[in-house]
Amino acid sequence: MKHLRIFVWKEFLHIWRDKKTLMIIILLPIIEVLLFGYVLTSEINNVNLGVRDLDNSTWSHQLILKFQSSNYFKIISLYTAPEVEHALQSNQVKAVLEIKPDAEKRLQSGESGIIQLLLDASDPNIARTIETYINSITYSYLQKGATQSSQIDIIPVMYYNPELKSVFKSVPGLMAVVLMLICAMMTSVSLAREKETGSMDVLLISPLKPWHIVIGKIIPYIVISFVNILMITGLSYFVFDVPIRGSIILFFLFSALFVVCALSFGLFISTVVKTQQIAMMISLAGLMLPTTLLSGLIYPIRNMPGWLQRLSGIFPARWFVEILCHIMLKDSPIHYYLKPAGIILLITLILLIMSTKRFKLRYD
Amino acid sequence: MANLIIETENLTKKFGEFTAVDAITFNVSEGEIFGFLGANGAGKTTAMKMLCGLLLPTSGKASVAGYDVYFQSEKIKLNIGYMSQKFSLFADLTVWENIEFYAGIYKMPPALIKSHGAKLLQELELEKQKKRLIGTLPLGIRQKLAFSIAIIHEPRLVFLDEPTGGVDPITRRRFWEMIYEASSRGITVFVTTHYMDEAEYCDRISMMVDGSIQGLDTPANLKTQFQSKTMYDVFLKLARK
Repeated sequence: MKHLRIFVWKEFLHIWRDKKTLMIIILLPIIEVLLFGYVLTSEINNVNLGVRDLDNSTWSHQLILKFQSSNYFKIISLYTAPEVEHALQSNQVKAVLEIKPDAEKRLQSGESGIIQLLLDASDPNIARTIETYINSITYSYLQKGATQSSQIDIIPVMYYNPELKSVFKSVPGLMAVVLMLICAMMTSVSLAREKETGSMDVLLISPLKPWHIVIGKIIPYIVISFVNILMITGLSYFVFDVPIRGSIILFFLFSALFVVCALSFGLFISTVVKTQQIAMMISLAGLMLPTTLLSGLIYPIRNMPGWLQRLSGIFPARWFVEILCHIMLKDSPIHYYLKPAGIILLITLILLIMSTKRFKLRYD
Repeated sequence: MANLIIETENLTKKFGEFTAVDAITFNVSEGEIFGFLGANGAGKTTAMKMLCGLLLPTSGKASVAGYDVYFQSEKIKLNIGYMSQKFSLFADLTVWENIEFYAGIYKMPPALIKSHGAKLLQELELEKQKKRLIGTLPLGIRQKLAFSIAIIHEPRLVFLDEPTGGVDPITRRRFWEMIYEASSRGITVFVTTHYMDEAEYCDRISMMVDGSIQGLDTPANLKTQFQSKTMYDVFLKLARK
């Protein structure tokens, strides 16, 4: 045990002296949470909406008032067709609502096409979101005026995330990315450094056992990972109100499982490479990119083509995000996420077995 | 005859089809300075790794400090020191932290680390640099410090893998004085080098060519045997064969 303590202390000194890397490790999670929380959001707020009111009646005024009072839109009045075109082209407005003359009368006679919506779809995601918001406001207004008889009323209730905050979904994804980065990349680079500088030979010739070296390398990063987990969840809880509705113990237990899995990735990478640079390249291109893109952090997995969905299954991040969603947002009973947990465990075991085999091959 | 600290008999290492070390047989006596010479790729490093317990031999016998390399490598590790040119100490740790780390992994008790470490610093006149990062020290000082640290736990045998590579002649000279000093204290020195003047400093030399030992004797006897004036000529004659 004394051996291990001496080795872990050395590793902490390495990390402590490398101030640039230390800054990245500490600041990266903070910056990512803030960025994803504030920037990558699909909510809309105070969007400029052009309105060309050809009806100019009490009915149309009231509709416009509804938009105004919604907080989502800022109304800009437009009067002619060229004005409409100019406003869209110059980015003055993102959408234009055109109300045709005699709207109310034509509506009552069952005519369609009394309201036209022009959208700037150069950014399709925003256009689609705006469309949804405008539709829902318009429909709720039309409902009031319409006869109650044959209408089917659908009242959506948003479970788990009533305000549809995208940060709720980002936090689990971010945890996966940050932990993967710290655990896999940092351990593989730090083990590769010992090989590259030749100190690995010195360590292996010493009375230290290989497992001292491996465990000693891993412990500091486990500590840092947990600091990061606390930082991410704390920040997202206090700044973005992201809850942990399920058990805190399970939350940390499964985070620990993922940390061990990411560490085994790092370990495995370090057994195949000889230099720090290659270790970094493999972790970045081979792990970080797929983790970011295939974990469901940015793009929903169910929108991907089937083969890509299956491919995403071999990256533990995807399963970890699923588990975290269950624990943090849904407070699901544990048997809902035993399968993803089992898959992470399986990946970890396979990696550990492969690493020990390779480690033995090299140093037997 | 002095006690033998290294004994090998037909020690062989094969990597697949390639024979890196081909049935070498030699002995090293306790307290001896044993030079292990050979061109790059002659098999020196592989042989050394087998003796350190880092590589398992394919066949043959070998014992180091009385322990068998096949079964007792853990015991061997406690009795040897190792230093190589490629790696000299952790650059981002201070002088004292390096001393503490090495002494620690060789299971020295803290009180002993303190006294041995202080003595070591005094001998190298590095007391004032105790808290400096190794990376900021000149290479020559680093190598001398690395050697002192490699024998801080008073091993019976120390392996030096090209310890003076890239170091100026004055430092090399001083380095060899340190080797003599260690040898006089009874520590056996097993050293590989490419500098033929250094070969002259050794008690006995083995010349390795393509995995096998082609010459093994004192520098003077080797020069007579190969009718050469200098070790340099002996080396060329053997390596070109």
